[in-house]
Order: sequence, then structure tokens, then C-alpha cells
Amino acid sequence: MPVVKIPTPLRPHANGLDSVDTTGSTVGEVLGQVFEAHPALKERLFDGTELRRFVNVYVNNEDIRYLDDLETKVEPKDEVSIIPAVAGG
Amino acid sequence: MSAGETTSDSIDRYSRQVRFPQLGEAGQRKLMGSRVTICGCGALGTVLANHLVRAGVGHVRIVDRDFIETHNLQRQILFDEDDVAANLPKAEAAARKLRKINSAVTIEPVVTDIDHTNILGLVADADLILDGTDNFETRYLINDAAVKLNKPWIFGGVIGSEGQSMTIRPGITPCLRCLIEDSPPPGMTPTCETAGVLGPAVAVIASFEAVEAIKLLSGAYDALNVELFMIDVWDWNFRRLKVAGLLGKVDCPCCKHHKFEWLDGELGSHTTTLCGRNAVQVAARRPEPLDFLEMARRLAPVGEVRHNAFMLKFAAEGHEFTVFPDGRAIIKGTNDIVKARTLYAQFVGS
Repeated sequence: MPVVKIPTPLRPHANGLDSVDTTGSTVGEVLGQVFEAHPALKERLFDGTELRRFVNVYVNNEDIRYLDDLETKVEPKDEVSIIPAVAGG
Repeated sequence: MSAGETTSDSIDRYSRQVRFPQLGEAGQRKLMGSRVTICGCGALGTVLANHLVRAGVGHVRIVDRDFIETHNLQRQILFDEDDVAANLPKAEAAARKLRKINSAVTIEPVVTDIDHTNILGLVADADLILDGTDNFETRYLINDAAVKLNKPWIFGGVIGSEGQSMTIRPGITPCLRCLIEDSPPPGMTPTCETAGVLGPAVAVIASFEAVEAIKLLSGAYDALNVELFMIDVWDWNFRRLKVAGLLGKVDCPCCKHHKFEWLDGELGSHTTTLCGRNAVQVAARRPEPLDFLEMARRLAPVGEVRHNAFMLKFAAEGHEFTVFPDGRAIIKGTNDIVKARTLYAQFVGS
């Protein structure tokens, strides 16, 4: 089943989990399942129905913006990663 | 001796890297004839400057707005306790240390806050711009300036044990606004203050940036990173995210439409909270340098006022103020921009 990787700064909003298993077949579906279990994640990642512009989502190592955005198909073996901007230095 | 020319003596000191065949003597001579601007001289910037000065990059300009505090020493490798006691600005202290490391390199410290009015002048003569900043506002400014001037730059960011880096070549790779379309609003992402930061994590990212710089300046373009590099040094997680496909795919205002919203001053505030500091910087630029003697007299009733050529410090209402000759102030003890502006107006004057 597709697994969604949760980045370190968002883990407190996902009961401390670093990944969540899902059954969806598109990026939008798998993220929707994650938000059902962890609603606090949604407002941090989405602005209405769109991904916030400082958060990117990758299927394996591919950015969904040059695939099909939230409609991008995912296979059971795929890994979906949420990658927020890293500000410090 | 003109730029790019070197004596055989001066190249000998680089023999161990000249023997690295991918660089060689030709690559070394290109490094020695190169100019870079390092924006920010904190944890990333000190490691970057250290590597590039030791490697013999001919002219290194170091731009930073801040001064050194004891809690910087955990990760900002060019500074020591004497620098803290001397109240030195970071750029100046770094330059003094680096000149002892390599006197063959020209080191130009610039103590200023990078903003849309001065960035072009700070980077226009550089072959490469390096990101040693701790905030997205300055990174978007660098990105706008780099795209406008068609100049490469290297992005790096670190929080906790995680870091990211990308080598940006306008027109050849996606730019920062292709990658991250908008900056995170305050409070939406962790800062060095809330999440902490490990010195070695910053050193890894800065070292990665420095290697990319050496490749770019020596002309080894085929060896450059064309992806988004990510590492978590705690979890030992290392990734290269494929971002090259974003070029042209994202409707980028900057590199596609050449609309420079940050450089034109349409985006970005001039008062910013400082990462990890519980402090706000108020940038109220003045045409003439402040008169610290007069200010110290005026502030005497408030409490002890200390000043040197670079800054004036005093405390008021539980906040510590550090004021710079150009009118900027860093106000410690608050993250509230409005409160900081108020305190500035009250004690420094508007």
C-alpha cells in the first residue's frame, strides 16, 4: 500500500508518526486518508483545496507538479513524501 | 599583479587540491581569478567562507547584518569568545580570521542588511552568489537578483538535523521560486529557535554548497548537482529529489516571466523576526550614519549605554537593543514585529 512520509516538523500533528500507510490510488486520495486520521495536518498543508505554495509533494523522488499534481497516480509500492521548505541556516 | 595572475609560490599552497585531477592547475587558476559574494555569515556562511578562502577563491565578499553572541559559537566556526567580548559584527570578525588563514585572498566584509535597494550592487561583480542566510526573504531577493543578472547561485537551508541544497543556474535549472513558490508565513514552519539546529548538519549543507561552488568556478559544469539535495544527519536519510522537470513547467513569475517582485520591493517586509533569537530587526534606513555619542547621551537616563564604531547597545523595558550606524536595530526579547517597531520609535526614534 502507498506510504506517506511525514516530515519531522509535522510529526507532532500526526501522533508522532513518521509515515502513514494508505490505500489510495492518487496523491489526492492518499493525502485525504492521512488527513482523516490526522486532521491537524490538513490546514498546515492545504489552503482550501490546494497545496500551500511552500509545501511540495513527491511521489518517490518526482515532484507532482510536473506529473499530474494531486491527480498523480500512485502504486501500492510508491512512497509519497511531503517536503516543506527549510528556512534556517 | 592583476586578477587571475598568480605566482608559482601562491599556487603551491593549494598543491593538495591541485593534485585532485578533476580540478588540476587550470581549475585552481580559475578559482584564484574568481569572485564570490557570500550572503549571510552565520552557521552556513562561516563554513562556506572558511572552505572558499582556504581553497583560494580570489575575492570573497562577506555580507552580514548581525553581531556575534555566545550562543552562535556552537556552530559558527570562524568566531570565538574574544569576538563576542569585542562586540564585533560577524562579517568583520570573519574577515579578520580569514585573513590569517589565507592572506593571498582578498576578503571584503560588508556589514549591512541585504535588501532590495542594495543587493544588485553586492552581487553584480560576483561570478557566483552563495546562500548563507537563515530566511526566505533574503533567498528570494538573491534569486531575483541572480535571475536578473543571469548569475548562478547556490541555495542551502537547515533546521534541526535536516538540510536542503540546490545549485541554481538561471535558464538551465529551475530557480528557487520554481521550487518553492512562496515563502512560509511566520509561525507556519519551525525556526532555529523552536526546532534547534545541529552544527554538523549546517556544516554538511555548507560543505556541499562549497563543493558545488568549486565546480562552478573551475568550470566543471558536468559535475554539478541538478537536483534538490536533502539530508537528515540524525536519521541518516539522504535523498536527491528530481526537480529539473520543473523548469518551464511551473509558471514562474521570476525565471519565466522575469517579474522580480522581491527585487522590485513589491514583496517582503523590511522588519523581520530573526531565526532562533526571540528578536526582531527593524530596518529604518537613514541617509547619514547615526551619531552614537549623541545617542548615548540621550539614552543615558534609560540605563547603561555601550558603543563602539560598529554598534550601540542598551537595555530598556526588558528588551536589549543593538543599533547599527545605518539606523537598523535588533531588538531582543520579542518576536512581535509591531511591538518592535513601537520600541524602536520610542527609544531609537523614527
